[in-house]
Amino acid sequence: MKAFLSTLFLLSAITCVKAQDNFDVSLISKDLLPYASSVVRNEEITTEVRDFDNVLLHVKRAITVFNKNGDEDVEIGIWHNKSRIIKDVKGIIYNQYGKPVSKFSESDFDDDNSHDGFSLFTDVKIKHYRPLVTDYPYTVSYEYDVKSKQTLEFQDWQPNPSTGVAVEKSSYTFICKPDFKIRYKEVNIPSKVIIGSNKDGLKTYTWVAANLKAIKYEPFSPLRTANLSYVKIAPEKFSYGGIPGSFTNWKELGMWQYEKLNAGRQVLSPQTVSRMKELTGDITDPKQKARKIYEYMQSKTHYINISIGIGGYQPFPASDVDQQNYGDCKALVNYTQALFKTVGIDSYYCVVEAGSAKVGVFPDFASMDQGNHVILCLPFKSDTTFLECTNQNMPFGFLGDFTDDRLVFACTPEGGKLIHTPKYAAQANMEQRTAAFTIADDGGLKGSITTNFKGANYEDRDHVIYESAKEQVKDLKKIYPINNLEIESADLKQFKTAQPYTTENLKISASDYGSVADGKIIFLANPVNRLNTPLREVRNRRNDVYINRGYTDEDEITYTLPAGYKVDTRPKKVSIEKPFGKFESSTTVNGDKLIYSRKMQLIDGTYSKDTYQALVDFYQSIADADHDNVTLIKGN
Amino acid sequence: MNRFFLILLIFIGLSNWASAQDFETGVSNDEIEMAKYDKDPQANAVFLNEFGNTRIDEYMDHIRLIHTYHAKIKIFTKEGLTHGTIEIPIHNGDNSAEEVNNVTGFTYYKDDNGIIQKVEFEAKKVYTVKDYKYGSTVKFALPALRPGCVIEFKYELISPYWDHFRGWTFQDDIPKINSQYEVHIPGFWNFNASIRGVLKLTKSTSEVERECFSSGGSKADCSHITYDMKDIPAFVDEDFMTARKNFLSAIYFELVEFTNPYTSVKTVVTKEWSDVDRQLKIADEFGSQVKRTSLLKERIASVIAGKTDELDKAKTLYTWIKSQIKWNDYIGIYSSEGEKKALDTHSGSIADINLTLITALNAAGLNAEAVLLSTRDHGMVNTLYPVLTDFNYVIARLTIGDQTYLLDATDPLLSFGLLPLKCINDKGRVISMTKPSYWMELSTQQKAATTHMFDLTLLDNGKLKGSIVNYYKGYDAYEKRKAIKKFNSIDEYVEDFDEKQPKLKVLKSDITNLDSLESPLRETFEVEIDAFDNTNHDKLAFNPYFWEKRTTNPFKLAERDYPVDWAYASDKRLVLVMHLPAQYTVETPPQVVAYSLPNKGGMFATTFENQDNNTFTFSNITQFNKSVYDPAEYPYLKELFNKIILTEKGDMIFKKK
Repeated sequence: MKAFLSTLFLLSAITCVKAQDNFDVSLISKDLLPYASSVVRNEEITTEVRDFDNVLLHVKRAITVFNKNGDEDVEIGIWHNKSRIIKDVKGIIYNQYGKPVSKFSESDFDDDNSHDGFSLFTDVKIKHYRPLVTDYPYTVSYEYDVKSKQTLEFQDWQPNPSTGVAVEKSSYTFICKPDFKIRYKEVNIPSKVIIGSNKDGLKTYTWVAANLKAIKYEPFSPLRTANLSYVKIAPEKFSYGGIPGSFTNWKELGMWQYEKLNAGRQVLSPQTVSRMKELTGDITDPKQKARKIYEYMQSKTHYINISIGIGGYQPFPASDVDQQNYGDCKALVNYTQALFKTVGIDSYYCVVEAGSAKVGVFPDFASMDQGNHVILCLPFKSDTTFLECTNQNMPFGFLGDFTDDRLVFACTPEGGKLIHTPKYAAQANMEQRTAAFTIADDGGLKGSITTNFKGANYEDRDHVIYESAKEQVKDLKKIYPINNLEIESADLKQFKTAQPYTTENLKISASDYGSVADGKIIFLANPVNRLNTPLREVRNRRNDVYINRGYTDEDEITYTLPAGYKVDTRPKKVSIEKPFGKFESSTTVNGDKLIYSRKMQLIDGTYSKDTYQALVDFYQSIADADHDNVTLIKGN
Repeated sequence: MNRFFLILLIFIGLSNWASAQDFETGVSNDEIEMAKYDKDPQANAVFLNEFGNTRIDEYMDHIRLIHTYHAKIKIFTKEGLTHGTIEIPIHNGDNSAEEVNNVTGFTYYKDDNGIIQKVEFEAKKVYTVKDYKYGSTVKFALPALRPGCVIEFKYELISPYWDHFRGWTFQDDIPKINSQYEVHIPGFWNFNASIRGVLKLTKSTSEVERECFSSGGSKADCSHITYDMKDIPAFVDEDFMTARKNFLSAIYFELVEFTNPYTSVKTVVTKEWSDVDRQLKIADEFGSQVKRTSLLKERIASVIAGKTDELDKAKTLYTWIKSQIKWNDYIGIYSSEGEKKALDTHSGSIADINLTLITALNAAGLNAEAVLLSTRDHGMVNTLYPVLTDFNYVIARLTIGDQTYLLDATDPLLSFGLLPLKCINDKGRVISMTKPSYWMELSTQQKAATTHMFDLTLLDNGKLKGSIVNYYKGYDAYEKRKAIKKFNSIDEYVEDFDEKQPKLKVLKSDITNLDSLESPLRETFEVEIDAFDNTNHDKLAFNPYFWEKRTTNPFKLAERDYPVDWAYASDKRLVLVMHLPAQYTVETPPQVVAYSLPNKGGMFATTFENQDNNTFTFSNITQFNKSVYDPAEYPYLKELFNKIILTEKGDMIFKKK
C-alpha cells in the first residue's frame, strides 16, 4: 500500500507540470523514421538579453530514442564557468506510450572539468547526465536555464545537428529590448525569421523548423552540407568580461580585439629586445630577419594551453612567454608578434578555424566565434607570409593542411581584415617515389625506395621523423604493405626551403615477397602504395561531391628479375581521366628489367552529385589495378 | 602462469643496515653538458635521479599517508619537453580527499654566455582538473624548458587512505639512471610488499627507526625500508599485449593488519583468504547483497513461472537481468546502489548487476557463486596472498550438474556463458557464500568462429551470381551482432553492406538469430558480383580468397619479449562451390596445402575437388587453438601467417576449352 501511494504522488506531481505534452511514440510520422536512431519531438530554445551583462538562455527539449545508437542523443552536457552559470535543470523520462516513468534533477548530474585533450587547464566545467533506460523506445524531456554575463556571443541554433537524428519540431526565439540591435546569419533555413514583439513590449526574433529527416552520412560531402540548417547571431553593442564594445563588420570587430584584448600585452624586457636586434643585426632583408626570429621562437617555446576567464580570447602577455617558454596559440602568436616588433617588422594576429576541412569565416557576417586557432601573418610588400607559431618544426611560411586555403580574420591597427591563406594545389601536393628492387629466384625482394613529399604532403612523415631509429622502423613497417618487410636503413630528412619537402631513403628487404610454385614466381606489381578500400556507393545521394584537398602520387619501380625467368603475365595498362582525377598505371619490360609506374591525381573542387558514381568507379578501378600480379615463369 | 609475469614476495629485514636519503637538489656541470644517455642514446629524456618516501604519520590531527616525491630529469630533445609537464592523479571519496602540496621546481639550462641559469617554478601555477566523481589530476608545467635543460621538482602528497600504501613504479617510458623508494611503516601496521616485472632491485635494505611514530600518546618503532634500482631501461609496448602494468617493474603494498594506536584494537585485514571470505560475506556491499534472496524471490516468481529445467531457468533469469538493469559505466567488486535500488532504477554498476544475477539464480534454487577478477587493462592478480585491490570486476559462476557457466549480465548482446574479452585475464577468485573461496582459470571454452559458404555461378557476362551464407559463433557472433545493431534496422545494415562493396549487388538477404543469442548468427545474401568484364578471354584469373585476402603479416617484429594474447581461440572456414560456364575449365587449381603450428597450436589447410568439368569445391580452414602464444612460439606464429599470405596470393586460372 505504501508503494502504491508514493507512485501515485509521483505521477500526479508530474502530470500537473506536463499535461500538455504527448510523447507517445506512435504519434511520430513514418516519414521521419528512416536512418533515425532518435527524433527530436520538440525543442524550444530562448535567448533573452536582459542587459549587457545579463543573458538568460532557456533550453527545453524532448527526444525519443528508438535504439541503443540513439542513447548518446539524450546525454545532456552543459558547460559552465564563473561567467556562465547553470540555474536550473530538470527532466522526465517517458516510456513508449508517453507515460512518465522517472524524473531527474541537477543533483543527478556529474560535474567535471572539460577535457579537450590538449589543454593543461581550462576553467570550463561540464555538468553531464546520461539517462539510463532499458526499454526502447523511450523519451527524455528536459529543460534548463543558463545565466550568462556577456553579450558578445549567443547560442547558435542548429535544429538537426548530427546524422541519425530526425526533427519533429524545433524553434529558436531571441528576445531583447527594442533598442538592442542584432545581426544574424541564416544558413539553409527552411522558413524565414519572424520578427515581432511580446506582451512585455520586448522585440522577438523567431525561427521554426519542422519535419526534418535524419541525415545519412555521405562521403565527400561539402563542408556545410545542403541539409544542415543553422542560425548565428551577433550583437551590435556588447559587453564581454566587463569590456564594452560594438561592431557591425569585421573591421570593427578586429579593431576591438586589437585595442581591447591585445594592446599592451607585447612588452618585452630590454634584454630580449637587444637580443633580437643582435640576432638580426647583419640581416637586411626583412623576410630573412623574420625567418631568423621565427626560428628562434620555435627553438625557445612549446605549446601549453591554460585558459581561464577571458583568456579564451585574450593572449597571455609576451613577457610571460619569454619567461616560461610556453603558451597557447594566442600567447605564442602575440609573443612572436612582439619579437618582430623589436626589429620593426609589422605582423597581424589572425583568427582561423583550423583543421583539415577548409572552413573559412563568413565574409558577410562578422562574429567572434568563427575561429578556434590563431596564426600570424606577415604582410610584406611583395608577398604575404603566414606563420604557424605552435609547431616547433614547421618551416618558415608553411601552414600545412591545418590552416591552408581559407578565409581568416586578421586584427590590425586599422581594424579587422579578411585574408585568404595560401592554397596547396593538387599538382603541388606530391608523394613522388622511385624504387629499385631485385627479385630473387626464391621470391625475395631487396632494394631501395626514395620518396619525396611536397606541398601539404610535407608533413606526411612527421609522426615518424621525430621518433627514435627503432620506433621509426616499427612505424615504417606499418606504413608499407610489404609482407616480411625488414628495414635495413631509414634516412628521413626535412628541407625547410621556400618550397619545403621531406625525403625518405630506405634500404629494405622482404623474404617470400613473391610466391614460388611450379616454376612460377607471382608477386604484386605495386608493393608500396596500394589503395585497399574502395569508395562506398551511396544511393539517392543528396549532396554534391566535394574534394577538400587534391594530391598527386607518382610511383616508379624498377625490378631486376632473377636470371632464367621471363615475364609470363603482367598488369595491363590502365588509364583513366576524369574531371576530378587521373589514374595511370603501366608496366614495361626491358631485358631483365620490369618497370612499373603509377600516377594518381585527385583534383580538389566541387562536382555535381551525379559525378559520385564515377568517383566510386574511379576508386574501384584503382583498387583493382593496385592488386594486379606479375607472374614470372622459368625458361627463356 | 608463465615466466614473463613475475610476482616475487620481498622478505623484509634480511639485508644490511642502511640509512638512505633523498638526493641533493641542484645540477652538476656534467648533467648540463650531457648530450645523450649512453645506455640509450636515442632517449628523448632520462631520469637522472628519482626519489620517493612514504610514511604513515600524524598530520593535522589525523593519521595520514605522507608521500614525498623528488625527480631530476634531463631533457635532450624537443620531443622530450613533454616530460616537463607533470600530472599527478589523486583520488577522493565523498568526505575525504588526497591533496598535493608544496610543489617546488627548477629548470636549469646553460644560456648563450655559457652560464648556468636556474628558473624557479611559481607555486601558484599548479592546476587541479576534476576528471570524474572520484578522481582528479594535479598538473603543472615547468618553466623555461628547452632541449638540453635539466628539470627538478618535488611535491608532497597527503592521503587519508593509509590502507592503500603507495606503491612505486621503477620503470617508465623513458630510462632512469637511479630510482629509489623509501617506506617508513610504524609497528601498528603490517603490509605485504610484492615486486613485479623482470628487472632486479639493485639494493634493498631495512632498519628499525626508534619511536618514529607518535600520536595521541601512542608511540611505535618503524620499519624503514629502502628499495633501489639502477640503470632502468625504458618500457616499450608491443602489439597484442595485455596491460603494461603486468610487465612494468614496480613494487606494490597490501595491508595485512593494523592495530588502532589509540584503542590497541587489532584488525586483521588480509592474512588468509579465509579472512577475506569472512569479510566479504558480511560486507554490506557484497555478501549482504547476495543474501537478499527473499527480495529476488518475489520479483523472479513470475519470470520463471512454469519452468522446471535448471538451465532453462538460468537462461531466463540471465536474459531478465540483462533487460532490467543497464550498466552505468562504473566498475568495481562492491555493489554501490544495492540490488533493490538497481532493480528499481534500472541502472547499476558491474557489481550491482552481477551480484543481483547471482542472488536471482540462488533465489531460483540454483547454485551460483561470485568470481572476483581483474580486467585485462587492470593487470593480473597476485595469487600468492589476497590483494583485494587487485580485483576490479565481479561475475557469476553457475554450476548445473557437472557444467559450469561464467556469466556477465552487464552487456545485453553477450550470450549465456560468453565472457567479455576484458574479463579473460589470468585467474579469478570464486567467492561462495557457503564454502571457502578458491582460484579458477579465466580462460574461455568459447571461440571466435566464422564460416563463409559461397555458391557462385560464373555467367557469360562475367558476373558471379549466387549466394553467400555466413555463420558466426561465439565471439564472432557477438562482434557481428554489435556491428549489425549499430544500424537502426536490418535493412539499413544490408544497404550499408551493399554500398561498401561497389562490385557487389545484394539481390536478396536474410538474417536469422540476430536476437536469439544462443544460436549461431546466420546471414544469407543472394548476390551478383562484377568479377570479369566479359568471358571472351582465353584465360581468366580468379582468386578463391577474394572475400578476405590477407596480404601483410600482422606480426612485424623479428622476436618478442611478451606473449601474444588474443584471449580466445579462433576458427575461420571458407567453402566455395563454383560453377563455370560450359566453355571454361580449371587450368590452374588453387594450391592445396596444410600448415600447422607445433603442439596442435593452429593450422591453415585447403582442399580442392573437381565435381565435374565445370563445377569445383574449394575449402579452407584457419585455426588458432590457443588464446595465448608465448614468445618462444612467436616465430612459428609469424611463419604461419607468412605461409597463409603466400598461399592466398596464388590465383586460379580458368581456361577456355
